[in-house]
Amino acid sequence: MQIPVVRNVLEANEKLADQVRARLDAGKILALNLISSPGAGKTTLLERTLADLSGEFRMAVIEGDLQTDNDARRVAATGAQAVQINTEGGCHLNSSMILQALDNISLDGLDILFIENVGNLVCPVEFDCGEDAKIALLSVAEGDDKPEKYPLLFNLARAMLLNKIDLLPHVDFDVQRARNFATRLNRELAIFEVSCRNGQGLTGWYDWLRAMRQAKLEGRLTRPER
Amino acid sequence: MPPMHEMVIAQNILDIVREEMAARQCTRLVRIGLECGALSGVEPESLRLSLEALLDGGPWAEAGLELRVIPLRLRCFSCGTVFGGESGQDALWQPCPRCGEQFGHTVEQGKELRISHLEAS
Repeated sequence: MQIPVVRNVLEANEKLADQVRARLDAGKILALNLISSPGAGKTTLLERTLADLSGEFRMAVIEGDLQTDNDARRVAATGAQAVQINTEGGCHLNSSMILQALDNISLDGLDILFIENVGNLVCPVEFDCGEDAKIALLSVAEGDDKPEKYPLLFNLARAMLLNKIDLLPHVDFDVQRARNFATRLNRELAIFEVSCRNGQGLTGWYDWLRAMRQAKLEGRLTRPER
Repeated sequence: MPPMHEMVIAQNILDIVREEMAARQCTRLVRIGLECGALSGVEPESLRLSLEALLDGGPWAEAGLELRVIPLRLRCFSCGTVFGGESGQDALWQPCPRCGEQFGHTVEQGKELRISHLEAS
């Protein structure tokens, strides 16, 4: 007997993501889910951002790693709250992990929560963590065809940071090509060319964060697509 | 068990299947009908292997998987023409066949990942 069912396979994760979203919305906390390949510079971006904006915002980080708490320790050294999730080999964070992590963060007075996902351009994109926006981080040490190879991330992200631009003279990365393909998928995508090593271009990213935080405060952020 | 995300997705599928089977008091599972969008990021063959691995040795070890890939369809940002429909992700990089617009098309279809039906008794 054939039984029609029609159920979204990821519904369990999405239900919990909505619970995360409700808790963060109640505190008007902006939540950003950082997604990139391993080594693109997520932790360095966070170290910079947390240090440079520490006078302006109260920020916390949920660190997702396959193993070790190295990244959480780097982030905590800036003075921000950091909670480590070890996925024990799992390739992405999910909303149930975030929900548990929230119990270990003091949300009172918090302005921005960063979720540093496991380094991977495929799996993390499909698992909603209850964020307001996904941020794609791509480094010029990788291929400029990443947006073509991993279209879903660039389609869903609200911002893309092109990191390590201080290396541009030494690599064959075609910035225009990467920008072009990313924008084909997403006309609204905010793109920032930065070097988290020497700080170049970060002011644009910081202004975007301020604008997003303001939009969150005023309830102007639309629910992200998934 | 491999940590690949198709395995996690397969587990999610079986959770739903168990729920639906119990709700209908079915015990015998013949087939799981699944629809997966070309942009969903799921590799059909890995998913098939993951499901087989999870079902192996259990009461539904013989159950098959009917997997339909839903091709990508885009709506043109400028003129609203819906295009695509061929297999793979090619449509993503094509300009609108009517007006030539290259940027900002919306994905109308191709992100799905859903169970469509079960064959059970």
